[in-house]
Amino acid sequence: MERDLVEYIAKALVDEPDAVVVNQIEGEKSTILELKVNPDDIGKVIGKHGRIAKSIRTLLSAASTGTGKRVVLEILD
Amino acid sequence: MVQEFEGRTEQDAIDAAVEALGLEAHEFEVEIVSTRSGGLFGRNKAVRIAVHYAGTEDSRETEKKSDAPRQRAAGSTRATGEALHPETDFEHAVVDFVTTVTEKMGFPSKVSISFREPQKLGIRLESEHTNILIGRKGKNLDALQLLANVLSGRFVDSEIKVILDTEGYRGRREEQLIQLAHKVGDQVKRTRGSKLLEPMNPFERRLIHTTLNDIADIGTESEGEGLYKQVRIFYRGSK
Repeated sequence: MERDLVEYIAKALVDEPDAVVVNQIEGEKSTILELKVNPDDIGKVIGKHGRIAKSIRTLLSAASTGTGKRVVLEILD
Repeated sequence: MVQEFEGRTEQDAIDAAVEALGLEAHEFEVEIVSTRSGGLFGRNKAVRIAVHYAGTEDSRETEKKSDAPRQRAAGSTRATGEALHPETDFEHAVVDFVTTVTEKMGFPSKVSISFREPQKLGIRLESEHTNILIGRKGKNLDALQLLANVLSGRFVDSEIKVILDTEGYRGRREEQLIQLAHKVGDQVKRTRGSKLLEPMNPFERRLIHTTLNDIADIGTESEGEGLYKQVRIFYRGSK
């Protein structure tokens, strides 16, 4: 579910939505989401001073409250 | 909704509020309006609190009514409580985006347009999950608003700021901040010292600055780095 959320937001923000890939790695206490976008789009998902990345992480942690599992978003370059 | 209660201690006042409103502790926010320490051994001690909570259907109606004259006085189109439907591609895109994000977060919401101004688009969320959609100090609502604005910026000739709101949260928060500014301002004036407020976003800081701008003896200044700076309210002395 969180994976879909990240994928949807990323696709809405980048110029190359088809290049957006989100990998989900399940750990015991946390889920790691690896977000990969076209290199030219990386700024669009990070933003000035990481504002966009921070907002995505905020929404992720809101979405995962109650599930008892932490969700970590990593943006790969 | 905001309602005031009084008790000998903060806890007494909160208990009174819980009893009167029938709410659980996590369903409201408490703000201390005034504390009176008076009397020997604090015999006449009293604490006044304001309780902020999400109203039920009928109480929301009355709230809307009491809000209406004030908003009309401000000359804002926001007073019209009816939901508008998206018309342009841009409006559809923003409404769709917010709808889908809240749905994928697991907090599906009804999203509509609350007002249109030349440079602003007001978006209203209605949901069973408003508490979590707002988050602590509006954190989640602000994050979603930021993303909606980034999306809005992608529409070439739109210099329009998107404002997200739910259950009148923004207005409530604004009033709360103005009250806080006056309270701390008075304190600083009395003690001739200075006080640092908690970190706030630019909009909230500006509200503090403008609220205290015209008050003699008091100055305000932002401190720190980044998006969430802190406002210091300090005594300036009479000129």
